[in-house]
Amino acid sequence: MTTNVPTIEQHPPAPAARKNFWNVSSGFMSWAGTLDHKRIGIMYLIGVSSAFLCGGLFALLVRLHLWEPHGMLFSNETYNQIFTLHGAFMVFIFVIPAIPGSLGNMVLPLMLGAKDVALPRLNLLSFYLWCAGTALAILAIVLGGFDTGWTFYAPYSLYTNKAVVSIGLGIFMLGFSSIFTGLNFIVTTHKLRAPGMTWFRMPLFVWALYATAILQVLATPVLGITVLLVAFERIYNIGIFDPRLGGDPVLFEHFFWFYSHPAVYIMVLPAFGIISELVSVHSRKPLFGYKLIAFSSLAIAIISFLVWGHHMFTSGQSTYALFAFSFLTFFVAIPTAIKEFSWVATVYKGSIALNSPMLYTLAFLIIFAIGGLTGVILGALNVDIHLHDTYFVVAHFHYVMMGSIALAFFAGLHHWWPKMFGVMYDETLAKIAAVTIFIGFNATFIPQFIMGSRGMPRRYATYVPEYAPFHQASTIGAMVLGSGVALMVYYLVASLFQGRKAMENQWGGVTLEWHTPTPPPLENFEEPPIVTTEVYDYSTLDLETMRTPAR
Amino acid sequence: MFAQLIQDPPATAINYIQNPAAPAAIDEFGQLEKLASTFHHVDGLFYFTYAVCIFFFVVITGVLLFSCIKYRRKTFDQPPASNTTHNTPLEVVWTVIPLIIVMVMFAWGFKGSLDMTTVPFEASRNMYKASAKQWDWTFSYPNDPAVSYGELWLQVNKPAGFLLESKDVLHAFYMPAMRVKRDVIPGRYQTLWFEPTEIGDYHLFCAEYCGEGHSTMYTKVHVVSEADYQKRPWDVWDDSTPAAAAKSGRSLYDRICFTCHSLNGTPMTGPSWKGLFVKGPDGKITGGQREVFVGGQKQTITVDDAYITESILKPDAKKAAGFQNNAMPTQALDERRIKGIIELMKSLAETN
Repeated sequence: MTTNVPTIEQHPPAPAARKNFWNVSSGFMSWAGTLDHKRIGIMYLIGVSSAFLCGGLFALLVRLHLWEPHGMLFSNETYNQIFTLHGAFMVFIFVIPAIPGSLGNMVLPLMLGAKDVALPRLNLLSFYLWCAGTALAILAIVLGGFDTGWTFYAPYSLYTNKAVVSIGLGIFMLGFSSIFTGLNFIVTTHKLRAPGMTWFRMPLFVWALYATAILQVLATPVLGITVLLVAFERIYNIGIFDPRLGGDPVLFEHFFWFYSHPAVYIMVLPAFGIISELVSVHSRKPLFGYKLIAFSSLAIAIISFLVWGHHMFTSGQSTYALFAFSFLTFFVAIPTAIKEFSWVATVYKGSIALNSPMLYTLAFLIIFAIGGLTGVILGALNVDIHLHDTYFVVAHFHYVMMGSIALAFFAGLHHWWPKMFGVMYDETLAKIAAVTIFIGFNATFIPQFIMGSRGMPRRYATYVPEYAPFHQASTIGAMVLGSGVALMVYYLVASLFQGRKAMENQWGGVTLEWHTPTPPPLENFEEPPIVTTEVYDYSTLDLETMRTPAR
Repeated sequence: MFAQLIQDPPATAINYIQNPAAPAAIDEFGQLEKLASTFHHVDGLFYFTYAVCIFFFVVITGVLLFSCIKYRRKTFDQPPASNTTHNTPLEVVWTVIPLIIVMVMFAWGFKGSLDMTTVPFEASRNMYKASAKQWDWTFSYPNDPAVSYGELWLQVNKPAGFLLESKDVLHAFYMPAMRVKRDVIPGRYQTLWFEPTEIGDYHLFCAEYCGEGHSTMYTKVHVVSEADYQKRPWDVWDDSTPAAAAKSGRSLYDRICFTCHSLNGTPMTGPSWKGLFVKGPDGKITGGQREVFVGGQKQTITVDDAYITESILKPDAKKAAGFQNNAMPTQALDERRIKGIIELMKSLAETN
């Protein structure tokens, strides 16, 4: 009896799908217990993006409330909680971990030619500490919220009857999450560079993350100590910051800003790193002044420890302290200016692809120019006395935090999205969103510069009516900005379900992460890479990889 | 426009700054409020740095936009127009020139701040005291026993020094038109001075977040001529008739008490004043019944002048039920002003 057995010739077996880090294993535990830096990066990405959307929602509520001089939506008490939530979510849960945790985790080992970070278990612990810290922050909301502003200035933070201890412990956990990420990146950069990857062949994103990591490890413990002291003082009535118990509230300001000024650079240095990568790739040109940019990151990391007092120019510091802090503040402007000039010089005479990552990068370059230059205005001692704690300061740091750091995060997200997911989003929508976000952002914060220089103090639930036109313009701008972000969320999420395949090397990058299949396999590289060329050498670019769909 | 989206009027509608100073005039460059003190160097350096910033912003944006148009990648494999990786003279130039500019700004700013933080002799002979608490200001005048609450009078062209103190948390003394700001810190005194040069009314804001009433901690500052100043306008208090006393009390309410107490029955941080006194069928105004906590024990008392006085001077002695966990700061008002507040409360009485 014969059976009709199909022969091999008739039905050749399909070639096994290439295993990448997405499909190498599945199930809940394969993610929750993963040690793979790419999966941890993806989990971070989901987490910090959710935090950003929450924080953004709070921001829109704040702006809507300020439509009318007497406040439109909330009681003063509720308003104070909402702006505090906006600040705390954005700073501690989004901006600080955003770029190192998600894009840094994803890209740093790839750029170095490593299989993973040096301490994968610590990496996972770092993510879970982030989750725990965020959970405590949410618990604080359930327990009645907190209304201290993100700065937690004593003695108000000691007297208020809100859930300060819970959010304080949350920030303590988030701090350790940040420290562990930094520690991991330092060890990885020192120990796991591929053969031939000398320090000056490292991409500038790695340099930036390295400088950030030094700050994270050295500065964050001070924040941890400070919030613990506040918690102890609230629970046990130890007089550290409370003048009624013999403490000193200005000491709190010193402790807080000793961390929180370096923290500004913990936030912004990774953004600088992303922009350094992107201007080079999308201009297809070696970065102008590579070494100067690398060293300026380190210079910023060092000087940033010595300028915290410029947040306290009106607190009654001694003349000598004012002198030193103002001088050093102006000094830190120089390495920052060098970076900006070098990026512009890189774009000049490049081969500029005006795709969505580059549009976000250009938006960054323009917005950061304003953010940095207005920082120079605030560094001047007598002018800062007038502008301190007004909307001018609010606009300045939003130009840095939102307009620069968040936009650099968006730029990096669009740049590495095809690498991470192997799919491309809708470029047309992406360009529309980038332009909308740029216009909406400036419409939100330029009015704040003007009303701030005219004396509108920050953290006001109600205000004198003469500032109303500026607040209303700002609110309209925020709505435009919000719709731009909503569009971005839409097309990015849609790309996961209906996106077309990305190219192997979507943008024509030459750093190591583009020398491995897209998306990368679990072990990152099929063959351990050996680096023989200088960084950003576009003569080595194989243009065909830009036209080959990801496998 | 958006107001229509909201169903209920917000509780804060009754809780905003009453009768603020008229909008400030804008200076000739259109960016700052018109300066009303002698600190010209603040405006000078502000506009200098502003001009420098605009110059660099135009250069940076100009090069970027030019490059994006001129060097846009038109074909897939277009190489860059140049592969220059560094240019030492250029890098030295753009390091040294900004360094020189910022050092000029630093020296200018430091010199200005020395001027602002060093109280000159004339101002030290004309010291006011500004005492901040949640959420209002009390002012004492040089060589004058009277104080004013939530309103301040200064003499034009006379340097005024201020001793700042806080009774509770951080505050900040901020007068935009004078360009002065100083944090007010509990447990230590701070000083500040300026010389007002223009007659008019000005804003005094609290610029350091201090809790629920932060934004309502507002004071109107009157800069008046020497002749007007000699009339001691801060000591005017009309209590010739109960109605006049109630009116005076209302003006004080609008500057201090309104941050926590309403007049229309709405509970805020503290209880409303409506219903403290009630009007009988014969039109006679008597004290209403009220539940209070005395040392943790609940009691019912009849409101009278003594109770109101005690609640102003010793707020913790009898705490209104429902508000026993909210702290009220001591209000060191004199007898005439307390009487005015009581008359205001009585004027709210309605027939049950």
